[in-house]
Amino acid sequence: MYNAAVAHEHHAEHPSGIWRWITTTNHKDIGTLYLCFSLLMFFVGGTFAMLIRAELFNPGMQLMDPLFFNEMTTLHGLVMIFGAIMPAFVGLANWMIPMMIGAPDMALPRLNNWSFWILPFAFILMLSTIFMPGGGPAGGWTMYPPLMLQTGLAFPFTIFAIHLMGISSVMGGINIIATILNLRAPGMSLLKMPLFVWSWLITAYLLIAVMPVLAGAVTMELMDKYFGTSFFNAAGGGDPILYQHVFWFFGHPEVYIMILPAFGIISEIIPTFSRKPLFGYTSMVYAIASIAFLSFIVWAHHMFTVGMPLSADLFFMFSTMLIAVPTGVKVFNWVATMWRGALSFETPMLFAIAFVFLFTIGGFSGVMMALVPADWQYHQTYFIVAHIHYVLVTGAAFAIMGAVYYWLPKWTGHMYNEKLAKWHFWLTAISANALYFPMHFLGLAGMPRRIPDYPVQFTDLNQIVSIGGFVFGLSQLLFVYVIFQCVRGGKKAEAKVWEGAHGLEWTLPSPPPYHSFTEPPAANLIWAHPYQDD
Amino acid sequence: MLLKNHNNALHVVIAAVMALISGTALAVDLNMPVGVTPISHDVYGLHMYAFWICVGIGIVVFGLMIISIIWHRKAAGHQAAQFHESTVLEVVWTIIPFIILIALAIPAAKILVKMTNTSDADMNIKIEGYQWKWQYDYLQDGFSYFSMLAADSNAARQLDSKINPDSVPNYLRDVDHPMVVPTGKKIRLLITSNDVIHSWWVPDFAVKVDAIPGFVNEGWIEIDKPGIYRGACTELCGRDHAFMPVVVVAENWDDYQKWVAAMKASNGAYINPATLQPEQTGSPVVYAPPELNFNAPTTAQLEPIAAVLPAAAPTAKPEDATAAANPVGKQPAATEKTWTMATAMARGKQVYDTNCAACHMADGKGNPAMGVKAIAGGTIANGPLAAHISLVLHGKGIMPAWGNILKDTDLAAVITYERNAFGNHKGDVVQPAQIKTAR
Repeated sequence: MYNAAVAHEHHAEHPSGIWRWITTTNHKDIGTLYLCFSLLMFFVGGTFAMLIRAELFNPGMQLMDPLFFNEMTTLHGLVMIFGAIMPAFVGLANWMIPMMIGAPDMALPRLNNWSFWILPFAFILMLSTIFMPGGGPAGGWTMYPPLMLQTGLAFPFTIFAIHLMGISSVMGGINIIATILNLRAPGMSLLKMPLFVWSWLITAYLLIAVMPVLAGAVTMELMDKYFGTSFFNAAGGGDPILYQHVFWFFGHPEVYIMILPAFGIISEIIPTFSRKPLFGYTSMVYAIASIAFLSFIVWAHHMFTVGMPLSADLFFMFSTMLIAVPTGVKVFNWVATMWRGALSFETPMLFAIAFVFLFTIGGFSGVMMALVPADWQYHQTYFIVAHIHYVLVTGAAFAIMGAVYYWLPKWTGHMYNEKLAKWHFWLTAISANALYFPMHFLGLAGMPRRIPDYPVQFTDLNQIVSIGGFVFGLSQLLFVYVIFQCVRGGKKAEAKVWEGAHGLEWTLPSPPPYHSFTEPPAANLIWAHPYQDD
Repeated sequence: MLLKNHNNALHVVIAAVMALISGTALAVDLNMPVGVTPISHDVYGLHMYAFWICVGIGIVVFGLMIISIIWHRKAAGHQAAQFHESTVLEVVWTIIPFIILIALAIPAAKILVKMTNTSDADMNIKIEGYQWKWQYDYLQDGFSYFSMLAADSNAARQLDSKINPDSVPNYLRDVDHPMVVPTGKKIRLLITSNDVIHSWWVPDFAVKVDAIPGFVNEGWIEIDKPGIYRGACTELCGRDHAFMPVVVVAENWDDYQKWVAAMKASNGAYINPATLQPEQTGSPVVYAPPELNFNAPTTAQLEPIAAVLPAAAPTAKPEDATAAANPVGKQPAATEKTWTMATAMARGKQVYDTNCAACHMADGKGNPAMGVKAIAGGTIANGPLAAHISLVLHGKGIMPAWGNILKDTDLAAVITYERNAFGNHKGDVVQPAQIKTAR
């Protein structure tokens, strides 16, 4: 008894200062590390985007060599996907999943520490290539051979960095699955889990399934360059298109890895601020599962111009269009949740509503691009650039920002400055549309993507886009300020921060104790969950 | 009077608003072009059909959200209902999207079948992508040529050019040697690449086909009306991806035949189709190629044309001038030509600026960022001649094998230039015969 008490005392101690963060196995600390890291990477990738938009402000080459421009587009994509969006979702998962399922911590805390601490090294490796002779990778974030094989010294560094990111993601995925399947509070069956937990359970399976595929694809490129193989070299009996098939077999599920947790977040925020239970909980779960399944059989819609046989084009067109059905169900359910609620518009709700509007616009262009004949016109133009940014910025990134505002009072114990946060929202939402909406027109009018210079008739729209981009970038400084202010202090937050909030995380004090639920929550708290009132 | 002024002001405002709405206030079309081929018409129709369906769905979904945002506010005193399920509703909004998708899929599949049907073509043209230019190979007529960014655009697009792109006609949309095709014929395009993946796109044709090394992809066009159609490479292909536009001149069959005859007789030189147009009004093609401003056609270039048109015997022409007039072309019949240092350096600079400067830079300093070696003071240009010729002929790494691209006279000139420019002083004058032997 005495020993147990001492052990417990000892367990509760942890080093302070930098060692606390390096050696931590605590889900909240690691969640914070992930979130801070992703915010940093959001600014690094954003800086690359600002350079891109500055060069594209006028026709002609003003600021940089075209090759450096290609490095910027490549690294912007890699940093934003692997450095900003994915770690942000993992950070949210780390913070929230144990609190939402009534667990003390993640199931595999040491693995958790490792999966985070790999990331900074991976990105140091990748970003250091900018300063190497020959510059960084410049073959696009998709790294298609043979172009990617022309990369100089940066090539092995980039590939190794991607291997590390993959290892980190797979370990994170394993940990999340183990946590959700093993550490749920007694009485919380799978179909009583909050939607955010559901979305992450499915996302984690996607991660484990596809990150090794990416690792395989880039390793084959490495072999082609240094070990004389010809996987992707037609002269040696290989096929450059094989890479694209393998890459997109990773790449399409990857797209859903970046959006399913966003669906989960939106499904938490909208019911809270509508003061009404989520409409169609079970169909939401099935919709996420169907989207995840379909994501494995649509990959070649990224490659409609590579000359596939007619039958393959038809198959991938139809399967891609099918995704619109479960995605539509989700949008309809969110609208039905808002319908006849008692809505209030705090910043998380503003981001969630903007998400539903703008993600749907991204969905529309997605359906249009699923049509192969029309895709021959849209493919590799600014139309697709508009599409990916509508789903990944006004989709995924807006959901992350909404989630930060939604849970920030819970994390810090302080309310954030609502007025400044609303300024941040409106600046972000308006500038994002000035930034991305004209890209549709540029693409339709014939401007290819990934070009550092363009014919003069595209100047007007590019200037609108660039100004939107600069305002968007600067607005994010306000985001950092609001977070910083909230961490430092502010009005004390209650345990249940939002009037309409439901779920176990709101039964813990704000900020929550270091080990979230040291004892399982009372069953009546779970049964009080709004999904189970029938 | 006052009223009239007021009306005028109102008209100006209305006109400005209309102009803004119709997009004419911006110097760019905002929508996909209708285009000039049967496919492009169908694709445009499909695009607009899908667009209006999306608009319809958007009005319903966004409309409901907006109503909810306005009416169902807590601030407006609305009490929350507590419903959270309706099997009927959920089945309905699963089935309706299905039906809409089927309505989209059927026309899309029909058009797709049509697009991929390259059978019964009247002629074939092979298109090969290079870093960073296109080669057009007229398989049935036995000639081919390269097409690269026009010289004026190329000068203006350099980082420190100080040339305003607005002052360059068709900035980045013109090439030295446009592809020429007849209207009203089904033309099968065979598209491939020599190095990395490119993609050949002309929006007015709704043809975008990837050019993949080692594989041949197909597309087809049948152009309604003569004109100049412009496009671009749309697959990232390296440093100068933005600088390899596509320009297609479509002519009626008779004019096209004249051009083909002129090309066959030109001894490898490119004949600009515009120079074959009779000087009469009402000519369907009004084409003022930019190269005329910079590289006025020499007598040598025009002679073969004269030879074809009035059916007169071609006259002998000085080989030197032919070579100088044709930056890129097929191997001429004779390589007995000899260069002097002065002629070789002059021609060599032209060839260098067109073909080599993109990577090795105009000052020969190379591009360390790309891993491109310097020629100025470089070991190859200042080393043994045989190794230099061999490297240029056969390429190495990202250095292309220029032996397949340039002719012996130009290769000799450019190697001479590289060995004697940029502060290099090897002093040797390379002759076409040496290149021929080294091949």
